Amino acid sequence: METITKRYPSVIKEQAPLRPINSPVDLCMACGTCAAGCPLTGTKGFDPRKIVRLVLMGRDSELIDSKLPWLCTMCGKCEHACPMGINIANLIRAARGMVEREKVPGMIHKGVELGLKTGNNLGLPAEDFVFIIEDVGAELAETPGFSDFKIPVDKKGANLLHTLHNKLVNTQNEDLVHWWKIFHLAQEDWTIPSQNWEGVNWGLFSGDDDAMKTFIGRIVEHMEQLNISSLMYPE
Amino acid sequence: MFDLLVDYIRSGRIRLDKTKITHRVAYHDPCNYGRKSQELFGHGYYEEPRWILDQCISDWVDLFPAGGNQYCCGGGGGTLLTPYRDERIHYARRKMEQIKRTGAKMLVVPCHSCHGQIKAVAETYGMPDLRVKYLWEVVADILIID
Repeated sequence: METITKRYPSVIKEQAPLRPINSPVDLCMACGTCAAGCPLTGTKGFDPRKIVRLVLMGRDSELIDSKLPWLCTMCGKCEHACPMGINIANLIRAARGMVEREKVPGMIHKGVELGLKTGNNLGLPAEDFVFIIEDVGAELAETPGFSDFKIPVDKKGANLLHTLHNKLVNTQNEDLVHWWKIFHLAQEDWTIPSQNWEGVNWGLFSGDDDAMKTFIGRIVEHMEQLNISSLMYPE
Repeated sequence: MFDLLVDYIRSGRIRLDKTKITHRVAYHDPCNYGRKSQELFGHGYYEEPRWILDQCISDWVDLFPAGGNQYCCGGGGGTLLTPYRDERIHYARRKMEQIKRTGAKMLVVPCHSCHGQIKAVAETYGMPDLRVKYLWEVVADILIID
């Protein structure tokens, strides 16, 4: 049997710098697994593999100034498949967060601004909100089996806090009642807050961590003030 | 949300009529309840919705691929709020192929974004009659009222 002669001391392992675990973009092997699995690859130049390369080469501006970060749904299929575990969706979200706020496309940042100012992404005053939900609740109370149904608003000591997706309050009122029916028959002790009831957090989409924290903080505040231990968050 | 429904059903606080929905139904895993939840909280909600569907519907089927390999509907990440409508509709083609292959008349989703996106693109992909329901809407529809 051939003898393996040690000609060099084993130092590489010690000398090579360890990669920072929170930014492992440079671990990318450019295999293209991410790109092959992404339904958006090839659409208007979108390609997750190329986005990782852009970031790796420090060409952040090209990504930030393009519309690519806004075409991605941040679904995470790319990183689920990535053999090196690179958080590709986080690159996209970080790029979104670096876009000047007035250049954030569509309703995303406008919704965040309205939400911060008014407590919901529609900018709906509390009395209008309560009117809408009580109106839909009164309609449900006319249905057999739900005659004593009432919407508990700002109820202290309830078991469950229920926030709402703004679209149900806006144009899709008919979809408000599904959970209410379930709560009623389960005899749940639940409540909806009259202010800061927004159940979506568009800071997640706009890359705005500060806004995200504010929205979450409001819900925590409700739970503390109303002394509620459980939350039913729609998203 | 899943845990709450499982608790209500398992404890008998609500009772369901499984004979009400007779046609085929398909289920779609939203990215945030699956992959994202797995990544951030160490638990992807794959089993719970399927257990709930078992209590509600006799003929429900999975899309393929499902679970962690599920295709995104194309409406996530705020894309429903941007002006890039054509790209968003194009994105949905894989999802709509998956649904079409099952022959289901109804798609059940537990996510508002998926719900909005699939309803908005169904006609473009030749499925104008596809019904899209929230998981909790299915539960509410078949509640047994004494």
